[in-house]
Amino acid sequence: MEKSLVTLDNGTTCSSWNYNGERLATGSVDGTLAIFDSIDPASSSFTCTSRSRVHEDSVVKVVWVPPEYGDAVGCICADGTLSLWEEVVEDAQPLQWKLCKSFGSNSNKVLDVQFGVSPTSLKMVSAYSDGHVKVYELLDPLELKSWQLQAEFQNASDSVSTFGKALCLSASVSWNPQRGESQQSSFVLGFHSDTPQLNSAKVWEFDQNHQRWLPVAELALHGDKGDQVFTVAWAPNIGRPYEVMAVATHKGIAIWHLGLNPDIDGRLSVERVALLSGHDGEVWQMEWDMSGMTLATTGGDGMVRLWQSNLNGVWHEQAALEPTS
Amino acid sequence: MPGLTADSGNALVPLSPEAHVSVVYPLHHGLKPPISRLSISWSRGNALRVSVFRELPAESSDSDGEAGGKVVQVKLGVADGEVDDAQWRRIAYGSVSPFALLQSRRNSVLALSKMSMSSSPYHPDWWEYVMEYSKDISSLLDNAKSLPNSMIDDPKTVLKKVEEPTCLKAAWGLLEIFYADKESQAWLPERIVDWLADYDVLFSGTQATVHSKLVEFQKEIVRLQVIEDDPRYWEVITSALAVGWLEIVVKLLRLHGSYQLDQLSNRETENGLVEAVAILISKMPRMRPELEAGRLGECFKTKPDFIKAWEKWRAQITKLDCSSFWVQCDHRQTREGLRNMLQLMLGNTNNLCTSTCHWIELYISHFLYVRPFTVGLESMHALAQKCIQLKPISSSHRLMGLIVGILGENTEVVLAECSRAFGPWMVAHAIELLTAGSDQAEIILQEGRDNLGGISIEELHRLIYAQVLSSHALTWQIAPIYLTSCMKQGMGLLEVLLYKQPVQDNQMLLKTTEICRLYDLESISSSIMKIAGVYHWKHGRKGSGVFWLQQARDEFRLNRIAQQLFDFVGRSISDESFKQWEGLIELLGSESKIAGGLDFLHKYRDFKKSLQQVQVGKTTDAAQQAVESLISLMRNPSTPQRFWLPLLHDSLKLLSWQERPLLNANQTNLLLNKLQELSMARLRPDFIEANLPPQALSSVRLALATNLGRAILEE
Repeated sequence: MEKSLVTLDNGTTCSSWNYNGERLATGSVDGTLAIFDSIDPASSSFTCTSRSRVHEDSVVKVVWVPPEYGDAVGCICADGTLSLWEEVVEDAQPLQWKLCKSFGSNSNKVLDVQFGVSPTSLKMVSAYSDGHVKVYELLDPLELKSWQLQAEFQNASDSVSTFGKALCLSASVSWNPQRGESQQSSFVLGFHSDTPQLNSAKVWEFDQNHQRWLPVAELALHGDKGDQVFTVAWAPNIGRPYEVMAVATHKGIAIWHLGLNPDIDGRLSVERVALLSGHDGEVWQMEWDMSGMTLATTGGDGMVRLWQSNLNGVWHEQAALEPTS
Repeated sequence: MPGLTADSGNALVPLSPEAHVSVVYPLHHGLKPPISRLSISWSRGNALRVSVFRELPAESSDSDGEAGGKVVQVKLGVADGEVDDAQWRRIAYGSVSPFALLQSRRNSVLALSKMSMSSSPYHPDWWEYVMEYSKDISSLLDNAKSLPNSMIDDPKTVLKKVEEPTCLKAAWGLLEIFYADKESQAWLPERIVDWLADYDVLFSGTQATVHSKLVEFQKEIVRLQVIEDDPRYWEVITSALAVGWLEIVVKLLRLHGSYQLDQLSNRETENGLVEAVAILISKMPRMRPELEAGRLGECFKTKPDFIKAWEKWRAQITKLDCSSFWVQCDHRQTREGLRNMLQLMLGNTNNLCTSTCHWIELYISHFLYVRPFTVGLESMHALAQKCIQLKPISSSHRLMGLIVGILGENTEVVLAECSRAFGPWMVAHAIELLTAGSDQAEIILQEGRDNLGGISIEELHRLIYAQVLSSHALTWQIAPIYLTSCMKQGMGLLEVLLYKQPVQDNQMLLKTTEICRLYDLESISSSIMKIAGVYHWKHGRKGSGVFWLQQARDEFRLNRIAQQLFDFVGRSISDESFKQWEGLIELLGSESKIAGGLDFLHKYRDFKKSLQQVQVGKTTDAAQQAVESLISLMRNPSTPQRFWLPLLHDSLKLLSWQERPLLNANQTNLLLNKLQELSMARLRPDFIEANLPPQALSSVRLALATNLGRAILEE
């Protein structure tokens, strides 16, 4: 049933496949970024084609930049710095991974970063350990070094009040995967912090008319709003009249439906359609398949679980994979 | 819901979600524990990739020589032991054209019915199309490994095997019999008899069947001296008779010792009885239009004719049963065996029950000898229930679930069974049979459901199947056929699928964009070409990069590239680099409307060329030509302002030509005005300073002033 594709280096801590599953980027404790490619397209085994030292500290997360902007990754390191690396050929030099941009850390660590494609530009959302969110915009579509800070805000439904001195352990950002021309940029974001108001997953949408980001929905029931969020995942929508998202907290994995039409206040209707338990504790990662019908999750119990809805719209665990040697 | 092989809660089978227990599959990675973390990623279709990271050993980092982790890929919902991968792909490819043909026929029939405003959406002969489709699909399911067929007809070979049947084909056959083949609805029982004759072997794996009994006996047959003394002989004959394998029964009967020439005289009566039974069997009335050559029985198309013949036939059996010849038959086994057979033919339930093994065999025997007129699924279902009670099954066979579902007239159960037992291919294709002519099934399968995000069950299963096809590099290209047959979400999934195709290889890229063109997916095609363009541009193949960006009509990036060229050109260029960007300008220029500024680059190239000639030849003619180029460049509104100074600076030599002033007073004035404009522009904050020596402006001004003086004097 299973097939081994890649053997990873010692000390590898994180990995990420590019958009078409043909390249793998991994980060390791010694700050190395390794790239694996399939040399022969007919075979399914991957070998390391590049190793670059991106930092002296451990790499904790690797995120691919959308392919319209080249073969590039963002690396988050343990000290909270973020750097963008790109594979380029420059001035008759051989192909190499080059640093395009570093986002240094002062006291605030970058916890998560995700890239979103809008019709005209590339946007980058980074979530910081002080509970702040920054949205950057790429100025030149061919140069990953020129970024402009577009907005900075806190993950609170009420955009007026600010919360000082938040301490966040982790954050999770997921862009709306839809890349249509008419689509507004939007993403969902949740924190694992000591400030209850910042935790719950909120959907942020860019208001083109006023050039600002607005929270359009909160994905938490009334009593659960302070719950710390482990991770969020926005499902691809191939034609449903609503969006589907997954939000994991210590209470389980909640599946949410998000309406597409805003009310007069600009808010979108939300409905929690399921609360799934299975990982008994922390949920590490959630990934939707290409049709948005199956959710795969991993968590502290060391299992991979697959969730689907049946014909009656009832969500359930479809299968689980237990890693064994 | 891309079906996993063991999904039991997939459908409307009355299973409460609480009772649902998911299956845990082991995922072998071969690493030494402890494992610190997992990471997951969906690959193509329904392939899931799991990265497994090993915890770093406490002290020595790489002393144990173990890998730091593994990435393992799991394909969900495609495992089927019966059919291997290559065979699956053959089936997948083969079913495309029957499926597409049926869809196009449906569309044209629907269009026709719309025009004629007829009440029924389908042509009265729609099922004929469905049957053609069903036959095409069924022929794909033949097993590739046919067994060698012996040319010599061995009288002792009672059981001939032509090919190893598959459950898949058997299941398809069942669906065809019950849903598609409207013509033979009247003789449904006989079709099921035929079906079991073909597929009884499939049940032998899990329990004894008539077929397995025959196979066993076949092995013994050559070793038996006096066959009719062996009780197994009579047992096997009766069993074969019970399920209606008349040819085998007659063939076996003719092996009876009394037929041997040396014994014929002593055993005349006995032989007469055996032959009488054999003849009765071969004259059995069958309610069906025809029988293949070599098959026994007499066919009757209409019920009255059949009833008449059946009554007569039974009367003959009864008569034989009461005959006085039995007393004269000395051979006990023969006497008992034959009379047993007669009882069975008269429909004695006890006899039927003891001579069959599987409930389905008992079921078939009822059709043959007890209730040949059984019509309607309701009574067929009741009969099946009775047979299952009489012969309970210990392990459920995947075909049994399907049969029970069909007889229970529950479309959703049938679909769930198809999905559970045979996977997404089966469901996606079988729906065509289920909807054929049944309005109720059509409503169930084709109405949009809110729980499914507005799509119908039919569409859901096509999406699932397309996703399975997408998982493999060799099959993804047929997924669009199924996706475009989906009314609501097919195009959405097709876009996602196409977007994920690799772009590095031009051949592949052309194929993908061709698919986009076929289905009018312009925006996705432009995204793909954009990705390809950026990929090539960044990987040093600037020409390919520009080409694909042009194909994508990506003005945004092309303008940036033009800007980069301007910047490049803006620096004073050496001869080598001149060649490099000249090619690019040529390429960009082919569609100058995309990047308007490139018009300038063309002119600039011409100017630069003549300037070079001036440097080489120093002829006044060449210099005059260069000046003309310069003037036309400076007059052209598309020439960016930041190029004015570099242009003039490059032309210093022309402005202060030794032999005579090359510019007349008007031209010089024009350039001086431009220079003045430039000085004003420098005061604005967004002005971009050209990369020139600080005295450039003043030296140009000086040269122009000198030239103006000389020109006025000359004029």
